[in-house]
Amino acid sequence: MTTVRLTVNGVQREIDVAPGTLLVHAIREQVGLTGTHVGCLTGDCGACTVVVDGATTKSCSVLAHSADGATVETVESLADGEELHPVQRAFWDEFGFQCGFCLPGMLLTAKELIESTPDPDDADIHRAINGNLCRCTGYNTIVAAVRRAAKEAS
Amino acid sequence: MRFTRPPDLDGVTTALAGGDALVVGGGTMVVPELTHGRVDPPAVVDLSHAGLDGLTRAGGWVVGAMVTYTALERADVPLLSRVARGITGGPQIRNRGTAGGSASYANPSSDVPACLVALDARLRLASVRGVREVAAAEFFLGAFRTVREPDEVLTEILLSDVDGKIGYLKFKLVEGSWPIVTAATVARPTAVRVVLGGAAAVPVAVELDPPPAGTTDPAWRAHVASVVERGIDEAGGGWDDVLAPGGYRRRIAPVIAARSVADALGEVTA
Repeated sequence: MTTVRLTVNGVQREIDVAPGTLLVHAIREQVGLTGTHVGCLTGDCGACTVVVDGATTKSCSVLAHSADGATVETVESLADGEELHPVQRAFWDEFGFQCGFCLPGMLLTAKELIESTPDPDDADIHRAINGNLCRCTGYNTIVAAVRRAAKEAS
Repeated sequence: MRFTRPPDLDGVTTALAGGDALVVGGGTMVVPELTHGRVDPPAVVDLSHAGLDGLTRAGGWVVGAMVTYTALERADVPLLSRVARGITGGPQIRNRGTAGGSASYANPSSDVPACLVALDARLRLASVRGVREVAAAEFFLGAFRTVREPDEVLTEILLSDVDGKIGYLKFKLVEGSWPIVTAATVARPTAVRVVLGGAAAVPVAVELDPPPAGTTDPAWRAHVASVVERGIDEAGGGWDDVLAPGGYRRRIAPVIAARSVADALGEVTA
């Protein structure tokens, strides 16, 4: 076991992890935040998405040791208590999710897109979310949600 | 498993000197390999603090091994910036994945190896024994195999300026897939060079005649088919994996090559 220091959603954490532990498992099991999901563990599905040092990342493809010293934001960082983040609100209003499994990736990549591209077109939206697999919605309502979130942020 | 994250290149080469360590760059390819037990190294060396993320214009370009696809997207590196924008897996992968990692991993079904051959890139390898440079055309030995020795690390990709028109085409069957076949073209007035990725275990470079009557001309297409199929056969035949059988890749490769040439020449194709 080695100590890894992370700042997760603004809180400094020291966790002891075994070599080879994935960041996603450290976040869920050691930090205790289970909004980040374990899906494919191959980097395909995006359910494990978190923001590491300001950039969306699939946390199943990062060793916890590699994140030592990093700032991590998870899906739990979005809402302020009961108050949904505008991106979450747009997904709610547009029925942009059903089971919610893909939401960490969808919400965090949508937020990253809108921060860098305030007026995204559909091609921008498709490119931003194409690392997330959703088996419920057929994606149309997700694209509508991202479009609404961008409009409401501007 | 020992984990080290050296603060500089000397630390990396020292950590690799035993020849038994797995190099982790962005991790998007090798970390899942670890997770699924396909590799089980006694040691992991993480490159992320070793100062290998420089992207500099120096005559051509020097692309550090840890330069991410996102960094390439934001730059204007011939071909590689464009390829970076189309890397599968979303921004989460492009924010961490690197061209250097793709080259080192040498998955036949990936974009970067064939592009580096098309660009006549040179790859700089470092170890405690010294530094050497290898031409991209000689770097890839087979599927998931390169000339990199176990104690070496790829530090930089060196690119010269390109004196021809560049074209690129990637064919995949679904959005989230690795490429099935890619074709990178550098078209010069007297010769057109196309390097195919995904078609065989290693990138396949072919020299084509410039199309005298456009890239849809059946006679020129027949020429492309014969040259491309011969190139794939000489490289050991079509690459077979779960995504597509070798015969399929060999069959579509000439079409992908021709469309890549059309892209380089600015032809609008359907």
